[in-house]
Amino acid sequence: MKINKIYFSMISLLFFLFGSSNLFAESNSGGRQIEAIIELMVALTILVVAVVLWLALVYSEKNDLEGSTLLQPLKNMIHNLTKSTPVSEESKILLDHDYDGIRELDNKIPPWFSFIFAGTILFAIAYMINYHVIGSGNVQEEEYAAEVREAALQKKMLSASGALIDEETVTFVDDPASLSEGKNIFTKNCAACHGKKGEGLVGPNLTDDYWIHGNRINDLFKTVKYGVVAKGMPTWGKQLSPTQIQEVTSYILTLHGTNPPNAKAPQGKLYEYKKPGAKTEKAGSEQEEVKKNI
Amino acid sequence: MNVEKFSYDNQSPKLFAIATIFWGVVALLVGLTIAVQLYVPALSFGLPYTTFGRLRPLHTNAAIFAFVGNAIFAGVYYSIQRISKARMYSDILSKIHFWGWQLIIVSAAVTLLSGITTSKEYAELEWPIDIAIAVVWVVFGWNMIGTLVKRREKHIYVAAWFYIATFVTVAVLHIGNSIELPVSFLKSYPVYAGVQDALVQWWYGHNAVAFFLTTPFLGLMYYYLPKAANRPVYSYKLSILHFWTLIFIYIWAGPHHLLYSALPNWAQSLGTVFSIMLWMPSWGGMLNGLLTLRGAWDKVREDPILKFMVVAVTAYGMSTFEGPTLSLKNVNAIAHFTDWIPAHVHVGTLGWNGFMTFGVLYWMIPKLFNTKLYSKKLANAHFWIGTLGIVAWVIPMWWSGITQSLMWKQFTPLGILQYPNFLETVLQIIPMYIIRSIGGLLYITGLLMLVYNLVRTMKIGSFVKNEEASAPALVLANNKPQRGMYHRWLETKPIMFSIVATVVISIGGLVEFLPTYLIKSNIPTIASVKPYTPLELQGRDVYIREGCNNCHSQLIRPFRSEVERYGEYSKAGEFVYDHPFLWGSKRTGPDLARIGGKYSNMWHYLHMQDPRQMSPGSIMPTYKWLIDSKLDVASTPAKISAMRKLGVPYPEGYENQCIADLDKQANEISDDLLNSGIVVEPETDIVALIAYLQRLGTDIKKGKIAEK
Repeated sequence: MKINKIYFSMISLLFFLFGSSNLFAESNSGGRQIEAIIELMVALTILVVAVVLWLALVYSEKNDLEGSTLLQPLKNMIHNLTKSTPVSEESKILLDHDYDGIRELDNKIPPWFSFIFAGTILFAIAYMINYHVIGSGNVQEEEYAAEVREAALQKKMLSASGALIDEETVTFVDDPASLSEGKNIFTKNCAACHGKKGEGLVGPNLTDDYWIHGNRINDLFKTVKYGVVAKGMPTWGKQLSPTQIQEVTSYILTLHGTNPPNAKAPQGKLYEYKKPGAKTEKAGSEQEEVKKNI
Repeated sequence: MNVEKFSYDNQSPKLFAIATIFWGVVALLVGLTIAVQLYVPALSFGLPYTTFGRLRPLHTNAAIFAFVGNAIFAGVYYSIQRISKARMYSDILSKIHFWGWQLIIVSAAVTLLSGITTSKEYAELEWPIDIAIAVVWVVFGWNMIGTLVKRREKHIYVAAWFYIATFVTVAVLHIGNSIELPVSFLKSYPVYAGVQDALVQWWYGHNAVAFFLTTPFLGLMYYYLPKAANRPVYSYKLSILHFWTLIFIYIWAGPHHLLYSALPNWAQSLGTVFSIMLWMPSWGGMLNGLLTLRGAWDKVREDPILKFMVVAVTAYGMSTFEGPTLSLKNVNAIAHFTDWIPAHVHVGTLGWNGFMTFGVLYWMIPKLFNTKLYSKKLANAHFWIGTLGIVAWVIPMWWSGITQSLMWKQFTPLGILQYPNFLETVLQIIPMYIIRSIGGLLYITGLLMLVYNLVRTMKIGSFVKNEEASAPALVLANNKPQRGMYHRWLETKPIMFSIVATVVISIGGLVEFLPTYLIKSNIPTIASVKPYTPLELQGRDVYIREGCNNCHSQLIRPFRSEVERYGEYSKAGEFVYDHPFLWGSKRTGPDLARIGGKYSNMWHYLHMQDPRQMSPGSIMPTYKWLIDSKLDVASTPAKISAMRKLGVPYPEGYENQCIADLDKQANEISDDLLNSGIVVEPETDIVALIAYLQRLGTDIKKGKIAEK
């Protein structure tokens, strides 16, 4: 019996200490909260099933467990967990109490009850030590700061990945690293049609003031990303990341006025050249104005 | 042996039982009304008396103190006489108790509908009624302990332990939480402010659940369940263990209502860990109840009374497991302020309190009338329709709570709120509100079956007003504690028992409250937080009168999603002048802690006139009478002076200046509204309310500007 007691105290102790790895004060991300709920729901389900099984066994007095060797270990375990005196022998533990006909039995406190109770007390002590002796005690302020940090980090990573860049938000970049990367991309993907220096070949000249789909970086980005399939310009959005499209379009804009040899004749409409990066380049209405001027 | 003849008083249990049934119907009908109002806001008829904000406290008070309260008294008055083998201590006290309690209920209904309220949940009643409650409660305790003292049974039975704990703790809680400074006959301010008021309120609120809805019903369970099943109680040892641990631990757990609030972290953590430790002591009661039915389960299949009791005890076990779960901070972060909490509460009230009450009534009424229950079939039908009602009530509210909470917290990949419009999250859960009200309707249908069944039972029986009984006189000679039998000895000393219980239940509250009250560092002050202006103070009282706090919290939790939605999270120092605190416990509408300056005066005016003008689809009732109702300006000096007594630093003699200041600010608002084409008298409730709303949460921003 002694071994059993130790065994069950160990199990309940481990259950509480492992199951409560973060001791349940944390609320950092929605995902973790949902996981926590699911864990709890699973624990609850297991518990309910266990209780139902246990009840079924305890109350199935018609089921003769005595003769079944298969159920003997389970029966022993249940007996060790409940220490319940069978109904047939309850006269042995019937106290002399009698209140208006109500009698009281003197069943032992179920060991499983005591183990879990002790476990919750250990949990409580561990919790207080964890947050208020080892930890600073500023539980929720620290959690909030961590949550905000995590969100800021996520945002930073997201913007570094370029996922935040699209035809609306793209801006001209002129740092040498980006432009040289842009040149690389151009050479690999664009030169075949637009010429090594952007002078135009199958595709139009990219160095003059005439554009078919506009000359703002946003326009170029859109053309590269979605392509102009009818005219043979492929859709690059699936092959180049938004950052790469930003780099290559920025590079293209730096080719303006380079007058490469063998330049192809102008195609499209005349657009007023604006130095890329200048703040004035964003409004769509300006483009309309330019068109009217022509 | 000298056998004495005496008689049991059956009149008191009968009266309380009838009152239980009557108020039960009232409480449930009010509940159904407010449940439907949540999706048919027109059901408030544009009247002040029938808005959600006033009806919801009426529902909770009627359900807890009228329905459950009378059920406790009916059950106690019947059982305590029999386990003590004595008549009630005094028939006169019984009468005072019964009629006093009913009078309190009627006055509560009248005042709550008139908007006379302290705003503190389950303690909304104003100070004269608070005093009446204290007096009548003492009458109850006096009568009950008196009966125990003159008992003929040597020991007091476990049911009575729970009755004693109920009496002493509710007395301590009620008095502790009702310490308030009267301003006028029906208006008072609590002496505590802000964080301290919140801690006291939820020490009370949580333990009102513990010692009004739980311990007395455990007492009832210990008498009526073994009686109905005719089986011995499973374990006397377990009774002792779970009784003392339950009452000791319960009292500590109040702060779990304030997790992630401005309450100091250490108090929050105590709330969490004591709630976890409360799990097994609570289950001790369930186990002793269910295991008492060992060998009687075949009876359960046939007897509707036992069926009600089994579901009641199971519901008790479920909600006392759910409770500790909800006290874990990561679960609470999701569940708090949502419909999950009413779902949790209603497992307890509809399941545990309701079904136990029905079981007791079905058992007791035939006994009082010396007959058999009119229809067992009808009681069975009541059982099934009631159970279905609970399921249809609770499950949609679980889903609704989780759904809405996750919507509140959902960010887009770009880091902005997915559902920035609060209303969108409300409209999402309307279907669940509809199902919930159907659940409520089923439950009420069951109750009406009970009414019919019991009225017929009373008709076929004949009431036994005084039930003859006899028992040997009590001889307590040589009554000394023996080794290992101390508890048995304590059971012979009802007054000593009461004193020990009082000490045990006082510890937790004191340990949590005293440091919060005495140690300054627990509530860091903020220099830019100033007292309300006279007009804002009056507006705050309009807010309290209309019960805005029943649907709107004023507490932004330190979560990114809440800071994003509502602004900087709430700090303890912001509430130092809030007598009472108005944090609220449920967000049926959005949080208002930083509503100040978010909208124009005109927006608020039009929104009160008809919320759907500004937010199509809103479920808030209209408050158009505020536009015409005159502000009670004359009460301002008395309110200022009361606030100063409570420590709010209004300068000496400000009473003479306050009305002029009030008028000045009111004129500014009415002029501003006039500029927008709205003509409104300055001295009206709407202007005061707008002034208050525009102030909310703005002080801390002024501090930031000053720092820069």
